[in-house]
Amino acid sequence: MSSQQDGTLLKVLLVDDDPAEHVLLKRKLKTAEDASIDLEYVSDIGGAVERVKAGGVDMVFLDNRLVPNNDFRETAPQLRSAGFIGPIGIISSDISGRYFEKFREFGVDFKIGKDEIDGTVINFILKEYTLDQLSETCSEDFL
Amino acid sequence: MLVTETVLHLGPELERAVNRMDFFRLFKSLAGSHGFSYFGVTEVVSDEQGINLQHVHALHNLPASWFEDPKLQVIDARDPVFVRLQQSSAPCVMDLGQTPSEVLGCSGSDTVVIVPLHAATGKRYCLILVGGDAKPDHQALALIALDAALIFQRYFEVILSLDSISGLSDREIQIVRWTSEGKTSAEIAIILGLSEHTVNSYIAAVLRKLHVVNRAQMVASAIRSGLIT
Repeated sequence: MSSQQDGTLLKVLLVDDDPAEHVLLKRKLKTAEDASIDLEYVSDIGGAVERVKAGGVDMVFLDNRLVPNNDFRETAPQLRSAGFIGPIGIISSDISGRYFEKFREFGVDFKIGKDEIDGTVINFILKEYTLDQLSETCSEDFL
Repeated sequence: MLVTETVLHLGPELERAVNRMDFFRLFKSLAGSHGFSYFGVTEVVSDEQGINLQHVHALHNLPASWFEDPKLQVIDARDPVFVRLQQSSAPCVMDLGQTPSEVLGCSGSDTVVIVPLHAATGKRYCLILVGGDAKPDHQALALIALDAALIFQRYFEVILSLDSISGLSDREIQIVRWTSEGKTSAEIAIILGLSEHTVNSYIAAVLRKLHVVNRAQMVASAIRSGLIT
């Protein structure tokens, strides 16, 4: 999660089988005053795995249901198996299912409804997930 | 979609909230359902420190531009919002047109809702709602206060009260164990199929629970306590 800290754009990968969501998210990003984001888009989990393997992706916004896959419980672990250790956020039009309770067990960092996303949410996500939660005394050098 | 009226009182989303992002969503939903664009939740510490919405444990969706002026980064002791919180423990609606607040005046609207919140440990917090056109009546204010108290209670239990909780979860013990093997956060993230951010969140939680400040102390303390061998 170093892109914003060194002044470059944060690379966010949107994985959604509906290309319209890419357009919508781009519009919402324009309303986030603090966001410095380079948004990339792929339409399926295979493409997403290839993209994160290539490196340079800081964060993934993953649509819950990607045809022909089931839900994030099937797709998010594929990104983790590919070695991706950045934050993964599940975006969905419906996050009321009980299975969302266990999202962290599947390597997911947060969940958000598509209709909840606006400029202030994007600002919060970027701040929350690019901020180092550990103090300097807890850096790896102190091991 | 979050439907505040049913969700907050009846509980499914509240019960499922497990991280700061979930609580951000709940407080934002509460603000939005009463016509406010912005919210802020933070601890009310002392006269000297004022109300610091930039504190690491604060939660808000206020634009960063409101805090660009170094003099406006804290709602200080002279601010009418802070004065009100020092004088009363009841929720209220304040008219900023009559009693201007330097920081919250950036919202462009005159109405601010202030809800004092209290943790069971005695610590004081507050919820502030701004950026709305309508002035809530008594009934609306009562609903805001009830929902705020419910969300805050859960937020305190899940996030803020870690200092006083003893015992580690299975996942936290796993992460302490891997740290004791010399693994970095990134390595542990790969091993456990998590993000580095999540691993660091768990480590931060363990540090607070064990009252230690770094990884070496964390491992030593866990061994002494018998949490790991």
